[in-house]
Amino acid sequence: MGTAPAVEARDLVKVYRTAWRRREIRALDGVSFSVEPGTTFGLLGPNGAGKTTFVKTLLSSVHPTAGTTRVFGVDSRTPEARRPIGYLPENHRFPTYFTGAGMLDLYGSLSGMDSRERKRRIPELLDLVGLAQWADVRIGKYSKGMLQRVGLAQALIHRPRLLILDEPTDGVDPVGRIHIRKILQGLEGTGVTIFLNSHMLSEVELFCRDVAIMHKGKVALSGSVRELTSDKGYRLTIPAEAPMLPEGLRAKLESTSAHTGARNGVASYHFTTRDAANQAIDACREARHPVEALEPTRSTLEELFIRTVDSSTTAGER
Amino acid sequence: MSSFALTTGALVRDTLREAMARKIFWGLFGLSSAMILFFLFLLKIDIVEGAVASVSLFGGESREMSVERIVQGFYGGIAAFLYSFGMFLAVFASSGLTPSLLEPGRIELLLSKPVSRPHLLLGRYLGNLLVVSANIVWLVVGVWLILGWKAGIWRPNFLVTMASTIFLFAVLLTVVFLIGVLWESSALATMVPVALMIVSPILAQEKTMVKLLSSEWSRQLWKTLYAILPKVFDLGRMTMDHVRQRPVESWYPVWSSGLFGICMLALAIWVFTRRDF
Repeated sequence: MGTAPAVEARDLVKVYRTAWRRREIRALDGVSFSVEPGTTFGLLGPNGAGKTTFVKTLLSSVHPTAGTTRVFGVDSRTPEARRPIGYLPENHRFPTYFTGAGMLDLYGSLSGMDSRERKRRIPELLDLVGLAQWADVRIGKYSKGMLQRVGLAQALIHRPRLLILDEPTDGVDPVGRIHIRKILQGLEGTGVTIFLNSHMLSEVELFCRDVAIMHKGKVALSGSVRELTSDKGYRLTIPAEAPMLPEGLRAKLESTSAHTGARNGVASYHFTTRDAANQAIDACREARHPVEALEPTRSTLEELFIRTVDSSTTAGER
Repeated sequence: MSSFALTTGALVRDTLREAMARKIFWGLFGLSSAMILFFLFLLKIDIVEGAVASVSLFGGESREMSVERIVQGFYGGIAAFLYSFGMFLAVFASSGLTPSLLEPGRIELLLSKPVSRPHLLLGRYLGNLLVVSANIVWLVVGVWLILGWKAGIWRPNFLVTMASTIFLFAVLLTVVFLIGVLWESSALATMVPVALMIVSPILAQEKTMVKLLSSEWSRQLWKTLYAILPKVFDLGRMTMDHVRQRPVESWYPVWSSGLFGICMLALAIWVFTRRDF
């Protein structure tokens, strides 16, 4: 049990059928991946990719058509599988008749915490999310950012081993976003697995160790952020106007580089191998043309995301 | 405290808090209290040597009657009120509590907790039942105490009204829950139980109708509907008989209505367990 993945999906399929026409919509189409315990994992994908359906299947609010999901080795359809999970839904609607402390008390009880434990934990969490002074104020009075923070406290109340956050910083101002990120960073290394479902690619890139990109109900790409974004490229920047770039050198560089671009009097060439970059330097020296810079490059997660979604769309159309 | 009891307590507490926030609890409580206050301040019974010398309502009309008869009359009036208008109010007040539980953004969070779906729905049902039961108990016991104090008559038979009204509400609430989990419509969840209440006295005329109906299939349909649906009218009549200290002829309306409620609740749980949210 100790070595079981925090999340494991095998050939997961979810087909929705429209009420009258019986038209099929495949929200999940053979999704398989796993998340190791203690890691930070980001699930990415454009709208309608199946991310939320996947999370709902994991939490058993949606029944899969086929396939299985497990949480720490336990079939996610059983209530026991949800005991180690803390969850913050995307469009949550907390009962507005509760105060912040009252709401945490309710969800703490539903998570199986006894009264003494709840009394100790609630002030601690409200303090952590910066809402200690709002403990006795009704949730109906909370701002969007405060709701997200009290929602995060709700997800953390029973010290979960797996934290599933659906767009946790949605609608939160930059300061609040940094606050939430700091809270999550504080959980790193404590053994808590963080499963982030977000559109904020920069945030996922900053925070997550592993990612999976979903598109049209399938996992289009998965792996560690570091590996996926390091495409081992080199960017050569040289003056293009003063002095003018000799035509011969331009032709040579363009024939060996993967991408080119020119802006503000400088030209950039992207080489995928170190040899190609060295040959380009040699060519510049031979032509006595100055070199501004040569630097290793990494793709951003955003670039990777767009490439993956584009190629997945193209493959689907073929 | 066991995890089961802890969770049940939380679900019931949540329902009570919501009922209070929606003013459901306070509305019913206010109405019950108004009736108690009515009996407390506006009903005046003067007893002379064990018989009522005068009865006055709003300080008006007064005439001589036996104490026993007047108290029985009030008991009957309260029971009839609870079975008709009171039941309608209770159903109306409860109809929104199931759809609100199933609101997107709320139900997903509840389902993410280590609570089974039947437990979740039954916790809500129990909470809803408690809200209404507390008000029925308050009204019946309150009126019983006031009438006992004013008239000096303490008939425990009247307290049966409490049990029978709660039982009937428990049965109708299963229909409210089934409609709620099927269509999430509070309007429909009010209309269907009220329709059952309206149709019940008509269906209860089974013996007369069987003679009047011309075709065999229509007679069978009538009998089947009477057998299946909750017997609101018969339960009311049974309660009145008990209050008036008459013997109860048959327990059939009780167990058949109970069976209907169990089936409806089981169906509601089955639908709720299978639904995607």
